[in-house]
Amino acid sequence: MMDLLNAIVALSNFVIIPAMSYGAQLALGALGVTLIYGILRFSNFAHGDTMAFGAMVTVLVTWLFQSWGLSLGPLPTALLALPFGILGCMALVLTTDRIVYRFYRAQKAKPVIFVIVSLGVTFILNGLVRFIIGPDDQRFLDGERFIISARTFKEMTGLREGLAFKTTQGITIITAVIVVALLFWFLNRTRTGKSMRAYSDNEDLALLSGINPERVVMITWLIVAGLATIAGVLYGLDKSFKPFTYFQLLLPIFASAIVGGLGNPLGAIAGGFVIAFSEVTVTYAWKKVATYVLPESMAPDTLVQLMSTDYKLAVSFVILLIVLLVKPTGLFAGKAV
Amino acid sequence: MSSDPYSDRGNKDLSLGNPKGMGTATPVKPGGKAYPAVGGPFLIGENMTGGYGAGPDILHDCTIAVDRGEIAVIVGPNGAGKSTGMKAVFGMLNLREGHVKLDGEDITQLSPQDRVARGMGFVPQTSNIFTSMTVEENLEMGAFIRTDDISGTMAQIYDLFPILKEKRLQAAGELSGGQRQQVAVGRALMTQPKVLMLDEPTAGVSPIVMDELFDRIIEVARTGIPILMVEQNARQALEIADKGYVLVQGRNAYTGTGKELLNDPEVRKSFLGG
Ligand SMILES: Nc1ncnc2c1ncn2[C@@H]1O[C@H](COP(=O)(O)OP(=O)(O)OP(=O)(O)O)[C@@H](O)[C@H]1O
Ligand SMILES: [Mg+2]
Repeated sequence: MMDLLNAIVALSNFVIIPAMSYGAQLALGALGVTLIYGILRFSNFAHGDTMAFGAMVTVLVTWLFQSWGLSLGPLPTALLALPFGILGCMALVLTTDRIVYRFYRAQKAKPVIFVIVSLGVTFILNGLVRFIIGPDDQRFLDGERFIISARTFKEMTGLREGLAFKTTQGITIITAVIVVALLFWFLNRTRTGKSMRAYSDNEDLALLSGINPERVVMITWLIVAGLATIAGVLYGLDKSFKPFTYFQLLLPIFASAIVGGLGNPLGAIAGGFVIAFSEVTVTYAWKKVATYVLPESMAPDTLVQLMSTDYKLAVSFVILLIVLLVKPTGLFAGKAV
Repeated sequence: MSSDPYSDRGNKDLSLGNPKGMGTATPVKPGGKAYPAVGGPFLIGENMTGGYGAGPDILHDCTIAVDRGEIAVIVGPNGAGKSTGMKAVFGMLNLREGHVKLDGEDITQLSPQDRVARGMGFVPQTSNIFTSMTVEENLEMGAFIRTDDISGTMAQIYDLFPILKEKRLQAAGELSGGQRQQVAVGRALMTQPKVLMLDEPTAGVSPIVMDELFDRIIEVARTGIPILMVEQNARQALEIADKGYVLVQGRNAYTGTGKELLNDPEVRKSFLGG
């Protein structure tokens, strides 16, 4: 009995909680990608670096606040800086839209051209971020590190296994829930949100209904900037802020959006968790859990790790392939790919 | 391959882009102004010449108009430019020559949004509903420019088309063809337009529903809204028309009252099937 409890705790500690928070970060990223895909009609390869830019502004403002001695007590100061990061990111995406994408919209360029353009934008952002903050790891996390630390948990429960619940994981999950709820309320209940769905459905008819396309595009970018910055900051708090990791993050984010069904916000969320859980479970060393659950005679000698963590990116793609083979529109019937 | 460097170069991969629902119109750009132009019918597209984008002219010196309290009907063979004419009147394509005037103003330079704001309602021939949205949301989007309470108008639409009330929470794309047409007309009526333009509202509709729709259209016209309508059911449409236009190859071939056209032997022979 005790063993089973220990197994559950170990599983939560190493798999469920980390995958939940990673999944929430991916879901927020994928929501941004899916919104751009649905409304601006292209796969935005600059999304990873948009996240990096928003997170970078947040990091800089956090440092400023820290130097002023501002803090949120047990919570990271970054939360206080987050709104400024979002504003900075909004300014960035509106500027890029103004000087880059708007031109191609006016030409009625095909989506594939936008994709390549976004690839160009990503390299510029990539350089910009590294130029401003440098290519290295940056620490900006402060405040209480744990909501429950492994040791407190062990003392509380008397179990052999500890359960650590980091503040950043708690914040990630709570923020994601709030943001997703707000986004869905906005898209399904407000006039502006509905006009965005209408534009996504049928641009010409939206025009005939008096919906201003440029306004829809602007609001989409603003929302995407918010989502990207929040996702970027949460990831940075949870792991660390390093510009290049955001470029790499683009891959699991796209995998999430496609697995869930591109263009479908619900799918983006589901996709994020599917990818996160697969990555974490496949690269987790199951020895500890197995030892608790299995009878002594069957206890494993090896780590029982399916793949080394170095391959975790590959996992996203295997999942992506499997889903696309079985259900080409993704789990939640987005556009057929 | 076309010479346009921004056109489709054959890549149809949907994981890169989402072409569904993409706009095809090249509407008049926002920012234009209207000028006073006194006199003339309530809505008129006058001596319109123009085509799509940089393509050839489809309309040649074509004039269509509707006055207060009237129903005007445009008929003509497939590809005559009837839909093109309607789009031109609505600003969904750029005119090379000619003017569009509404209620004493020259609105040729106004964008479609501005024309909606001035009281024009348009039901295009194709893609005339938001398929992924519910019937009710379609109607709400029709009323997008309104800031007042729309529940009264919505109730009127539901009275006019009772089937829509039943299906109001269903996605419009899941309705039958005839029901979709009702959604499309309902959407356009939601703005409380001062003039309504319908491009083949009875396309793909069974004869009974067609009679019904015609009755509804007459009902709407009786409330004082002028209606400019393209119809394939020429005979039936001309019977209710105060004014009729026969377009051929982008030109006005015959113009007259509905009765005149119905009795004109030439028109009968070539367009009404004897
Ligand atoms: N989006 C477009 N781009 C380029 N050419 C077009 C476009 N739409 C229509 N055309 C051309 O314009 C001409 C007139 O088309 P239009 O749709 O106005 O005809 P119509 O009279 O409405 O015919 P129908 O009775 O079949 O609806 C046709 O030759 C067609 O090929
Ligand atoms: Mg037509």
